[in-house]
Amino acid sequence: MTDTAARIHAAFAEAGGTGWLHALDIDSGAQIDAGADQPVCTASVHKLCLLVTLHELAASGSLDLGEQIECPPAGRTAGPTGLAAMLDPVRISVRDVAYLMMAVSDNAAADLLLRHVGLDAVNRAMTRLGLTRTHAVHTFGELFATIREDAGPGGAQALTDPHVITRLRALDPARTNRSTPRDMTRLLGAVWRDEACTPEHGAAIRRILGLQVWPHRMASGFPFDDVHVAGKTGTLPTVRNEVGVIEYPDGGRYAVAVFTRTANTAATLPAADAVIGTAARIAVDALRAS
Amino acid sequence: MDLVRHLECFVAVAEQSHFGRAAAHLGMAQPPLSQRIQRLERELGVRLFERTSRQVTITESGTLLLAEARELLARSEAFMATARRIRDGETGLLRAALSPDIAGETVAAVLADFPRRHAGPELELHELSTAQQLARFASHDLDVGVIHHPCDVSGLELGPVLRRELGVLLPRSAAAAVLDEVPLASLTGYDLILFPRNSAPALYDDLLTTCARNGYTPAAVRHGQGASFVRGLVLSAGAVALGPYDAQPADVRDRNADAGSGVVWRPLAGAPLAWRHSVAWPKGRGDAAVNAFAEVATHALRTTAGARGEAPAGPLHLRPASEYWL
Repeated sequence: MTDTAARIHAAFAEAGGTGWLHALDIDSGAQIDAGADQPVCTASVHKLCLLVTLHELAASGSLDLGEQIECPPAGRTAGPTGLAAMLDPVRISVRDVAYLMMAVSDNAAADLLLRHVGLDAVNRAMTRLGLTRTHAVHTFGELFATIREDAGPGGAQALTDPHVITRLRALDPARTNRSTPRDMTRLLGAVWRDEACTPEHGAAIRRILGLQVWPHRMASGFPFDDVHVAGKTGTLPTVRNEVGVIEYPDGGRYAVAVFTRTANTAATLPAADAVIGTAARIAVDALRAS
Repeated sequence: MDLVRHLECFVAVAEQSHFGRAAAHLGMAQPPLSQRIQRLERELGVRLFERTSRQVTITESGTLLLAEARELLARSEAFMATARRIRDGETGLLRAALSPDIAGETVAAVLADFPRRHAGPELELHELSTAQQLARFASHDLDVGVIHHPCDVSGLELGPVLRRELGVLLPRSAAAAVLDEVPLASLTGYDLILFPRNSAPALYDDLLTTCARNGYTPAAVRHGQGASFVRGLVLSAGAVALGPYDAQPADVRDRNADAGSGVVWRPLAGAPLAWRHSVAWPKGRGDAAVNAFAEVATHALRTTAGARGEAPAGPLHLRPASEYWL
């Protein structure tokens, strides 16, 4: 193992968990591999795959991003943000739903879009981009339904019981939406190099990824006003993820994918969020020094 | 056709998206690897990969088969491990572990009860920390063990979680030593003796956070684990330590013992702290012997160490950044 990978693994252990990272210099192709091929549960990181799919479909003319869609309150997927948290009927364009899905990880927005394009379209788009180990098997509503079912009558409170944690299908990459750190940096690299879709659509994807509101994970590792951070998080009990792109003022740009599991089953663990930034920073510093 | 070997090739090519890299990964040459993939495709009647001059991409059919191929390989590995276990002992050997803090009475009860409960393999019992146990589960060198929570439980199956409530070891001269139950806040002014953080960071942080939340923030944390070293620090260094009742010698834990040692153990008011244990084994590798050990160890912890099931958890207020909602 390289010294950098060892330092990254040590940082995850120090924060009370395990993690897997892949970092890619988007222009030179240089990499940092700290478990880059580990199969991981994507959780809300899969919303990035959906966003790219929407823009691919729009670029090919089979989807209109400006189309207004109706979102009645009944049947919305549950969630603590965005449309999922709103009470009244909403009429909104496809691309603004996509913005909510990415900026605040809006689960209702994601499922609204998935109903629009279908899971298969997302999987086909990822395969076309060469992401052989990235696959979605269910919508976000279906994902949460497996957790409710596996948690049993104890409900959300039971999710702090390690015994329940071992039973969750949502935490088994073989049975839920999945990817690898390397697949995710490949996707981000393609978006940043305008290879995933046209430059116009690439720019739209990059804009939205830059509007994510959460400061606690990857962004926390780059406390610099002149460094741009764009990304998408994913969270489930004991799972904390973020994939993103870090851009320095000298033109250096780095795709970083970090997937972690914590030992502690508590939902609120600030140090476990922050280590995603710490690990990303160790990787980016190493890429910039080489 | 050796299905397992062919599936290994299939998974390697799928993961590397490249015949050369996959061959290197498998430690074989590229031409026989290509032949194996072709043979497998013929045998299954399914095209697994699209090949162009520059790259290999898995087909939709290949993707559908990949997860099951991985599962089959994992099962075949588990099968070989069980066979090895049977081969290595006359009647087989169950490799089990207890963490070093488990009391002697509990260890003895496990050793005495296991052969009574299960006539099969011989029990080979080791003293291993949780981190060591997890590493040996991964390398197939351990079948079952009693672990501490919190730890990374991915890939494990668990028995019920049991709590061993912690009390405090303090000098007999301490003001709080006269109390039947010691509130954590009354330990203010004493340093705290704990195991080194890197041996279990999540547990270490959890203990300190709970102490602070209950009004005890030690000015310094001293690291120590051995019973006599800890005793020395408690006797003369203005420090207290935490530990379960069952792990203390009789002269320390019994209220009415002669004032021989100068160190006393008292329960903590409200039982805010505990070691949390469960029996654990790798997913899919539980057999009759593992189940018997799980029963014996759980029973021993309940009867010899006073371990109890967990009380229902408090309310859970998920914050918006949690991204999920039930």
